[in-house]
Amino acid sequence: MTDAYEFEGLPLGSIRPGTTVLVVGPSHAGTRHLSFRMLSGPPDEGSILVSTNQRAGRIADDWARSGFRLDEDRAAILDCVGDDDQSVPAQVLPVSGPSDLTGIGMRYSDVYRTFRESGVDRVRTGLFSVSTLLSFGDLKTVSRFVHTLVGRIDAVDGVGVFSIDPGMHDDQTVSTITQFCSARIDVRETESGQELRTRGIPDQPREWQSFDVQTE
Amino acid sequence: MILCVDPAASARERTTDALAAAGFDVAGAGSLSAARDALDEHAVECVVTEHDFGDGTGLELAATVRDRHPDAACVLFTETPLDDVDTDAFGSVVAEYVRKEDGDRGELVDVVEHALAFRSQTAYPLPDDEAARVAALEQYAADPAELGASLDRLTELATALFDADAAAVGVIDAHTEEFLSCHGVSFDPMDREDTVCTYAILDEDVTVVEDVQADPRFEGNEGLAAADIRFYASAPLVTPDGAAIGTFCVYDDEPREFGDRDRELLSLLGDEAMEQLSLRRRVRDAGGAGDD
Repeated sequence: MTDAYEFEGLPLGSIRPGTTVLVVGPSHAGTRHLSFRMLSGPPDEGSILVSTNQRAGRIADDWARSGFRLDEDRAAILDCVGDDDQSVPAQVLPVSGPSDLTGIGMRYSDVYRTFRESGVDRVRTGLFSVSTLLSFGDLKTVSRFVHTLVGRIDAVDGVGVFSIDPGMHDDQTVSTITQFCSARIDVRETESGQELRTRGIPDQPREWQSFDVQTE
Repeated sequence: MILCVDPAASARERTTDALAAAGFDVAGAGSLSAARDALDEHAVECVVTEHDFGDGTGLELAATVRDRHPDAACVLFTETPLDDVDTDAFGSVVAEYVRKEDGDRGELVDVVEHALAFRSQTAYPLPDDEAARVAALEQYAADPAELGASLDRLTELATALFDADAAAVGVIDAHTEEFLSCHGVSFDPMDREDTVCTYAILDEDVTVVEDVQADPRFEGNEGLAAADIRFYASAPLVTPDGAAIGTFCVYDDEPREFGDRDRELLSLLGDEAMEQLSLRRRVRDAGGAGDD
């Protein structure tokens, strides 16, 4: 068993390897910032981000602004939108579109393998967002994909951060996707700022906690 | 059983040997047509397939697997570079990918072991205690004929009590739901991913789906539409050890509400059906002990 994953600068305790967290919140800056931060580990960890609705260049910029130093050796973006931008400081891997769940899963396995072969064993995986996948595919198909990816992350002792916007779906859909993940973080915006509440993460308070959104 | 499909005999043999050495029951096929025959003949739980077969592809085979054995794990184990695999046309199949290099089968065995142990390619969530739940079900497995009319009386009573179209008692094993009693409807065994009960056993309380057609989990579900099921309510059948092995369900052809008292009564019927199964098990166990 490898060491737990840590989330510096966030009001989150460590997370057991193999866990996938569903981040449930409106697709505003707070949810995105939190998701990016959770995906950004120390230099010896890799990150693979599946971007379903934003070009690699744009998502790399947002990710960098959240404080992560992108590097081809340890950052990969699976781009479902299409981007030939060679200047992105990450491996950019094309997928034909957000309805090609088979392609996303296989690209993921392939790039994970290249990380492992280069000595990067600890990998954080982002899926931004499940909502886009659900707007291109039915719940049953997306469920199978999410289940398979969660299983893959568990098998390699990684950590997963999947996001979903509850305003875009009914309760049954969000609840079903939640059931595939071992933990959930709800995000809300209040007058005083951003707040999060966790479920399924050991030793975490059950109440809402505020967190900072700082960009560089 | 694991089906290993590869047109190259030596590579296929190496793969089947590696999986057999890991303790799996493995069969091989050298062509897509032989693989399809095997899917008809066996309860296939995992398919490991090459990609290029000349007359078709591994993803075409995976699409067939999803149709015939929807829960099966599909793994594309291939020398073909990913850039040359047309995934877009099979975007909803979902399969694992392991690159085939030289004689190494270690990564493949790891992927297959995990996919089977955790059944991670199902299109529905599994209860936390799934393995124990399926094991418990085997102890309660009952021959519907042996149950006689006891469950049939309960489903008939339920239909009248709730003024519903139909009622049934179903048990859910690893991949299918089988019905021990039906009143007002007749169900053959159904793939687990197609039944409402698959979701109901995740909830320890009574489950009510007031309008099945409006629920995204059952969108496009032909079986439910064909049976004219618009309303669903069920109580789980829970063993004394806490495993939900099945459900007592009522159905109607129109959306409707189901009040608190209805939920209580349905829960009582579920408990009674479970009691019947427990009694049969005790009778069977006592008979077995007497034979020793």
